[in-house]
Amino acid sequence: MSLIQKILPLTRGSTPALQFVRFRGKINIQRPKEPHYERARVVAVTQPKYPEPPKARSCFKSRAERTQQQIENPYNEIIAREVRNWLDHSRLVAIFHLNSITADEIFRVRVQLHKQNLHLKSYGRKIIGQAVEGTRYEAILPLFHSNHCIVFSPDHQRIGSLLRITRKVPQMVLLGGIVEETLLSRNELMAYAQMPGLQAVQAQLVQTINQAAGQLVQQLQAHQNSFVQILDVHAKSKGEAKETTPEEKSK
Amino acid sequence: MSVPFSGALRRSGGIVSAIGKQLKSVNLKGVKRITVQFDPFAENVKSTREFLFLLSTPKVALTNPKCVVKSEIVCNRQPANIKFALIDSAQEKAKVKEIRFNSDNINTLELLQLCNRHVSSLAPPEEITNKVLTKAEKQKLGGGAGGGKKTYKKK
Repeated sequence: MSLIQKILPLTRGSTPALQFVRFRGKINIQRPKEPHYERARVVAVTQPKYPEPPKARSCFKSRAERTQQQIENPYNEIIAREVRNWLDHSRLVAIFHLNSITADEIFRVRVQLHKQNLHLKSYGRKIIGQAVEGTRYEAILPLFHSNHCIVFSPDHQRIGSLLRITRKVPQMVLLGGIVEETLLSRNELMAYAQMPGLQAVQAQLVQTINQAAGQLVQQLQAHQNSFVQILDVHAKSKGEAKETTPEEKSK
Repeated sequence: MSVPFSGALRRSGGIVSAIGKQLKSVNLKGVKRITVQFDPFAENVKSTREFLFLLSTPKVALTNPKCVVKSEIVCNRQPANIKFALIDSAQEKAKVKEIRFNSDNINTLELLQLCNRHVSSLAPPEEITNKVLTKAEKQKLGGGAGGGKKTYKKK
């Protein structure tokens, strides 16, 4: 307060609405002041008292059992549902064993696969177990005991490009897969990749069916065809003989 | 009358640190090719797959860059096995051409222990090449021949 405000009290303004208590200094919480006796009494009375769990319940449990009270995380359920979704909607699923690989390399593989509409994913065994237990995909569970990764694709003709890309990656070892709801082992998957497309196979089938009728027609016409061929050869040889003799005559 | 102390002073770190300890002493210098064969749909393949993974880690691979680790997947439910094809000097030492582990009923830790006992012991000892001499060692070697040129002019 200035000198004028002390002498002439009317010049004092009213107390401001905001009175600043602290200015820049750090507050003290580490060495609190000892409370007054009355305050200390109130604090002591109002301390919360928690009921102790009866020792008999946990007496015979081992230390591991006592400390491992994990509640099932509901997020696992959501991820399991995502896995089921991927399994249901992709016509090609390939499962790989993953050896030790750097994040850089696996990223490069993931990008190459993504360009071919192949999606590289990996989930924990517990979640896959939760997603797959009791469904028709249960047979793939033993593949996930160790480090793994899964490749999903909505079209099943990409198996060729998948094998081509993963052949360059020695750390990814193909274990098996699901194609069109059929579980295939590694050798079967490679054979499937070698097979020609559906149209070519259909054409082969049509050819095989027509072969019976075609054979019959061929056998009926066999004698006539051979006769015609012999006549052709005879006519050609005669024609050549006629050409050579006029040449000799002209000479 | 006190009972003399018996037991361990330090607690063991569990199976994981035991595996880590075995992994540190794995030496593949005596091996030229490792073939791991397993059927992924069979039971008891976990230890084989874990062993394959551990062999592919960079630290183990660095012990012998020439050694090739090959995995064969079969689908005839035969038990898993791991074959180590040895190099010539190791073959003479062990008097066998290759070592085969049937890993169907073996734990990962036991597999590593067996590997250390039979395979890592066949690694040839390291030869010291291009040893860099320190100044003191050079002086010791050359000091006897040179005759000790210790005096030098101060300018």
